[in-house]
Amino acid sequence: MGEAILRLEGVCKSFGGVVTAKQVNLEVQPGEIHGLIGPNGAGKSTMMNLISGIYEVDEGKIFFHGEDVTNIPSHIRARKGIGRTFQTPRFLYRSNIRDNLMLGVDLHDQLGYLKSFIGIKGSDFLKELDELMEMVGFTFDWDEDITAIPFGQRKILEIVRSMLSHPKVMLVDEPAAGLTTQEIEQARNLLMFAAKKRNIGILLIEHQMDLVMSSCENIDVLVFGEILARGLPHEIAGNPIVLEAYLGRDFDD
Amino acid sequence: MNKSKFDPKTGAMIIFLIVFSLLVSLKMNNYTVLVVNMALINMITAYGLSIMLGMCGQLVFSGVAFMGIGAYITANLCSGRMNFILPGYAAIVVSVVLTALIAWATGILFLRLKSSFCTFATLGFVQVLYTLFLNYEPVFGGPKGIPEIRTLSAGGFVFDSYKKWYFLLLGAVIIVALLVERIRRTSLGRSLASIRDNELAAQALGVDIYRTRVIAFVIAGAFAGLSGTLLAQHNRFISGDQFSFAKSTTIVIMSMLGGINSTPGIFVGALIVTFLPEVLRGLDKYLMFIYGIAVIIMMIFMPMGIGGAVSDFLKTMRRKNKLKS
Repeated sequence: MGEAILRLEGVCKSFGGVVTAKQVNLEVQPGEIHGLIGPNGAGKSTMMNLISGIYEVDEGKIFFHGEDVTNIPSHIRARKGIGRTFQTPRFLYRSNIRDNLMLGVDLHDQLGYLKSFIGIKGSDFLKELDELMEMVGFTFDWDEDITAIPFGQRKILEIVRSMLSHPKVMLVDEPAAGLTTQEIEQARNLLMFAAKKRNIGILLIEHQMDLVMSSCENIDVLVFGEILARGLPHEIAGNPIVLEAYLGRDFDD
Repeated sequence: MNKSKFDPKTGAMIIFLIVFSLLVSLKMNNYTVLVVNMALINMITAYGLSIMLGMCGQLVFSGVAFMGIGAYITANLCSGRMNFILPGYAAIVVSVVLTALIAWATGILFLRLKSSFCTFATLGFVQVLYTLFLNYEPVFGGPKGIPEIRTLSAGGFVFDSYKKWYFLLLGAVIIVALLVERIRRTSLGRSLASIRDNELAAQALGVDIYRTRVIAFVIAGAFAGLSGTLLAQHNRFISGDQFSFAKSTTIVIMSMLGGINSTPGIFVGALIVTFLPEVLRGLDKYLMFIYGIAVIIMMIFMPMGIGGAVSDFLKTMRRKNKLKS
């Protein structure tokens, strides 16, 4: 294994008495889709917020590209290349699709407001956008309001927006929740493309096991803030601790 | 992205402006032109507010305070209160720059506060400055105000009539409106919109929320400073009661009636709000009552103002046309 693009060392976080992360160690390699699964309330989304800097860690360190980013504010982490999507897509609901996607392009270009204001052109993203939209297989009129397109497509567009910013790591929070089978397929194509062709390290939270099992190389199982198991998809699927955490124990035992 | 060169909206705007300026310059008497001029001056401050409220989603009342600062700087520089009298155009530059600096200095404090806390801080700021303007004689002339401000002249051309001023102010408003539209279409506008609609998304997309909000506040302050310096040189007299809290609500109503996110909307909104007291002259006892009712009705039926209602209507038409074809 090469150097991890994202590394968590002994990360702890609690809210009052509720422990949502207990000594978590985790590594994501470039070009790898790394699954993070666990029952509801296990602290998966908290982990995303800790990595992207929405929450501060209580203890432990987060390394990105070998650099300690534990105390760096959220927006700087984004600029360094930690992209993310949200469980419910977060868009500018009063803006059209173009402006929403352009925010990703702005993040990539990092022109600054003045340069953008006086008309210095950023990178040409149209070709890239065409490529991404071909990958997922739907089109849109980008003068439309973001609310005019279906929920599933919106969630996929959020991944597209993050990819337009050329992140090195992408934190993807439950991309399949609320999507149709066809849309899940589109989302998977896009994630596979991001990892394999763009060499982005993806940390994927997901409950939809088909998607996790078919796309992830490595899986961590998080239960009550602790990593209980770690391994390849087929190892995880047969792991008794994981089954217990998800399904409960037999009453007889 | 096949965008045709001709945009019907821009065309409509240009025709409207030509008709408007002909109407004012040929048909209207001196007094009416004066009222239009006041509307244009207020409009510049309202455009500043549209950046803070419309784009950034942060209501601030401070526009009028910065307008006052700009006006008093000009009044001091151009009325012989100092040992020198600065030429009017230089006073414009000095006032705008100084006001922007003061806006920055206050903005870095105010914008640490979120949403309504920030609103109330600016409200306090307006009250403090209003009191200062009215009572501190050495700088602000006290309750008597500052008279005998030189009117603007440039290269031998003196702006000595309301109609001459009218064209200057219309030009200034158009420039400010174009700046606002430009901001809306570039990364600053998008970042502000992301802060307004979703702060978490803004952070995830690398937007420095605090810095961006301060920048917007400084731009709004600079606009207000511009409108203040123009006000001082246009009226040739200023006093504290021109920068009261009531005035700031008027500015807020202008933007809201026109549509906080609509550049042409604010133009219309400012004209309506300025002309309403003139039209309803006989009813001025009930004016605030009518205002209040109008604002309530508007918030219910068109929360994004006239501009928002029109653009919603156009969008619906566009969708219908798309369905037909």
